Amino acid sequence: MVPGAFVRVLFPTREKPHRPGLPHIGYVLGITTGYAMVAYTTSQPWPGDTPLPAGARVFDAMEAARLNQSRAFLLRLDVLAKLPLTQAWFPDMQQSGAGIVAIAPPKLQAELTKLATNLARRSRELLEMRGP
Amino acid sequence: MPQARSQPTRPRRAARGEHPTTRKAASKVAITLRLDPDRVARLQAIAEAENRSLTNYVETALLRDLARREEAQRVITMYVAPGVPDNIRAEDVVRAEGESDEDYTERQALMVDLWSIPDNT
Repeated sequence: MVPGAFVRVLFPTREKPHRPGLPHIGYVLGITTGYAMVAYTTSQPWPGDTPLPAGARVFDAMEAARLNQSRAFLLRLDVLAKLPLTQAWFPDMQQSGAGIVAIAPPKLQAELTKLATNLARRSRELLEMRGP
Repeated sequence: MPQARSQPTRPRRAARGEHPTTRKAASKVAITLRLDPDRVARLQAIAEAENRSLTNYVETALLRDLARREEAQRVITMYVAPGVPDNIRAEDVVRAEGESDEDYTERQALMVDLWSIPDNT
């Protein structure tokens, strides 16, 4: 597994948040010893009358194709999972290619890191308490 | 023999002479709050400026804080698998192939920051 990879992952669901969930392609924001921070992706169209969440990055069909994906998709940097690097969560880990669909080019990785950094800052600012 | 009519289990509020908001108000829980006199004076001044009672102002301030916390939780939804540590060290973050020093430093900071967000699902 490498940082910046789009990888097959059993992303947890709201119904069973602590168990391997449905097969998705996730984006690996980063890796540490034995663990990965993975962002959710979906190819379900976003409802036109609903504003996109702050952490969403749209990949149109052309951009998706460059990342070996057959359909346009939405990367949700606001929906994250901290997961162990095990076959239970990454079912194709032991196979050749380790379930990696594509690796984002460095420029895209830097863009996504920046977007996630801004989002994390926004989250922290909202949590900051006013002084006594 | 005539059948006895069943009695309503609960009289209607209006029949009880109860104000419609009484029940709602009764469902609130009273708490005791101890504050320094200086702070009370400041809060009182703000409440008056906003044309509120002190109690209403304090309640509103607490509700605002709750709303901000809920909004913050909505900013990032974090799933955490069982057994994953709460924190990581920047030096343990793996560097991507060909990643510049600047980008790697940013990724390290991001990972440490995001990793501290607890499960909020």
